[in-house]
Amino acid sequence: MSARPGSALWLLRHEVRMFWYTTLSSKSSKAPRGMHWKLLALWLVLWSLLHAGAWFVVGKVSGGPGEMPQQLVLAATVLLVATFLFMLSSALKSSVEVLFDRGDMDLLLSSPLPSRSIFSVRLASVVLGVASIYLLFLAPLAHAGLLQGHPRWLALYPVLLGMAAIASSAAMLLTLALVRWLGARRTRVVAQVLGALAGALLFILSQLPNLAMQSGERGEGLLMRLFKSGAGIDAASPLWLPGRALLGDPLAAAIIGVLALLAFGLTVTLTHRSFARGLQMAAGSTGSAKRPAGALRFRFGAGVATTLIRKEWRLILRDPHLISQVLLQLLYLIPLLLVVFKKDGSQPLVVGAGLTLLCGSLSSSLAWIVLMAEEAPDLLHSSPADIRTIRRAKLTAAIGPVLALVCLPVLWLTWRAPLSGLLAAFTICGISFGSALIVMWTGKPGERSALARRAQGNGAKTLFEISHLLGWGGLAFLLPYAANGAQASIGVVAGIGAAGAVAFGVPFLAWVFRHRSH
Amino acid sequence: MNMVSPSLLVSGLRKQFARPAVDGLDLNVARGELYALLGPNGAGKTTTLRMVAGLLAPDAGRIEVNGVDLARDPAGAKRSMAYLPDDPLLYGKLKPTEYLEFVAGLWGVDAATAEPRARQLLDWLDLSKHAHELTEGFSRGMKQKLALAGALIHEPQLLILDEPLTGLDAGASRQVKDLLLSHVAKGGTVILTTHILEVAERLAQRIGIIQHGRLIAEGTLDQLRHQTDAETLEDMFLQLTSQA
Repeated sequence: MSARPGSALWLLRHEVRMFWYTTLSSKSSKAPRGMHWKLLALWLVLWSLLHAGAWFVVGKVSGGPGEMPQQLVLAATVLLVATFLFMLSSALKSSVEVLFDRGDMDLLLSSPLPSRSIFSVRLASVVLGVASIYLLFLAPLAHAGLLQGHPRWLALYPVLLGMAAIASSAAMLLTLALVRWLGARRTRVVAQVLGALAGALLFILSQLPNLAMQSGERGEGLLMRLFKSGAGIDAASPLWLPGRALLGDPLAAAIIGVLALLAFGLTVTLTHRSFARGLQMAAGSTGSAKRPAGALRFRFGAGVATTLIRKEWRLILRDPHLISQVLLQLLYLIPLLLVVFKKDGSQPLVVGAGLTLLCGSLSSSLAWIVLMAEEAPDLLHSSPADIRTIRRAKLTAAIGPVLALVCLPVLWLTWRAPLSGLLAAFTICGISFGSALIVMWTGKPGERSALARRAQGNGAKTLFEISHLLGWGGLAFLLPYAANGAQASIGVVAGIGAAGAVAFGVPFLAWVFRHRSH
Repeated sequence: MNMVSPSLLVSGLRKQFARPAVDGLDLNVARGELYALLGPNGAGKTTTLRMVAGLLAPDAGRIEVNGVDLARDPAGAKRSMAYLPDDPLLYGKLKPTEYLEFVAGLWGVDAATAEPRARQLLDWLDLSKHAHELTEGFSRGMKQKLALAGALIHEPQLLILDEPLTGLDAGASRQVKDLLLSHVAKGGTVILTTHILEVAERLAQRIGIIQHGRLIAEGTLDQLRHQTDAETLEDMFLQLTSQA
């Protein structure tokens, strides 16, 4: 069936084709555009394995025909809420991309196509993009349910699409509202940060059992009690609607479907004009806010190293999206903080090891930004500045903020347990320096915006980084354990030896393979 | 020795990628000269300039900048030159003042020399009123002018420019041309590539035409005219490159 050129259906087909090209077709610029058969085969194998797993899960949890155990409804609701948060996160990123990054909007808006059609198709493409990954991973449950005589599991399809439509509509409305309130330039940053936070919220929620443990109760026990009692909420409560819809309750699924259609329709009707306005604002938003021109003030006369460090810090501090990506790693401090307020003997061990791992991860990110994402490498290389001075300054720019950030927690740890604090300071310095060196020797250059994707296509660096983190993490745990306790055994000593060998050996290996990696 | 040496001396320069990009190139550009290196796309102009700027190691040949061998003393050779590619070497999140501070820091220019120079350059290039804005919002012309200011902040003797006027409007183009002529008038040397033959015709004292990595013709406009039976540089260029 061929759609009439210029119709919304025709445009949707174009969007689907573009989505197909960008996800499954060959990404190499040299290869002719076409199916990436190896990737497709890999996905098919993975999907088959998922079906096998789903067959097992459905057989275990599915009750008799028409039966819907309350605990299963609760689990499905929790799964759907978590999925919705992730969907919201992806939808925010996609909305920003649709509004700011796609290069074809000028062409579409200058065509005779109504802006309503363009907007509805773009929103539909966001919905499909957001839903696709969840359908890929969860659809095997529906298929397994159907094959095992539970066709109600097929409700997973409309419910996931409905949730994706609600999440995408909310994300698009939020993005357009932000454009109106903050302007296009700030919206881009705020929406990206909100998107990342929505995803990170799940991590914080997953740490709630730790909070429960502070009250003396085992977290798992509390969860199970809540789970068995349906969290104390009545079984007929509308709060369980998503779970019931996912498990095939026709009324609940219909309510989700109607809500999704309403959200989509209202978003298109109410905002397709502001969509076009948002695009116009985005087009004119490249300029930074003008400040009244005062007297020119310069800070000349600094040496090469100071000049470079100042430049690197300025560039990072002026890029809120970059900061948010780096600082999201601090989220892992939350469970660590919970441990800090816990009063038992394992506290210094866990805090030291946690801080060490955090510093390794932060140093690696910052080192990649300053060393691999240099915007004007030709300027540096065409200058008479010594390359070793440049590298040293850049390493300092990467490691300095990390060490400054953990200074207070390490001082606190040293005050509580002096030996553990000193050992933590040693492992923190070691991992920060080593991580930065690994990036310098094996990292691949890229643009700053590619920070989150920097590991792609660089398996050697990823392997080096992970084993390096594990080595120093092991040392950070075992050294104070052996130094403080009387339980030091041959096993602990061997563990320290192995962890030390990895911690110091991996940077050496990275240096050996540095030319091959670049 | 350095006082009489040419600003740029290139001999037997070679560089091969999949095919020879530069194939035994010789150049001799005197101090105080504005030299235009012309050639069709892929002729080896940018590769030559990148080797001269120390960004690309030659497979063979020798490069001397103001009498300093680039291979033996790269820092010494780079100290007296500046390179400006067609895509300006800028940082989007820096302001013009900060960018100039950074470049001056790289070249080790002291504050007493750099500050008046920076003010003068920003004024000349009409950038003073934008000095508090981030460069990511600048137009192509403003970016090119700021990059040129950066190239001139350390007062290089030799200025190497790859397509410096591409994408500039008439006003910005005039400002850049005036600045280049002023640099040459003060004894500086400029080597530039351009596809705008009119620019080479009006500005350059000597013109070199390069094809397949080799210099196929070189001289003043009159000398080139004698080598061909053409009147305009465009006709000369087309005739010479079609023969080679």
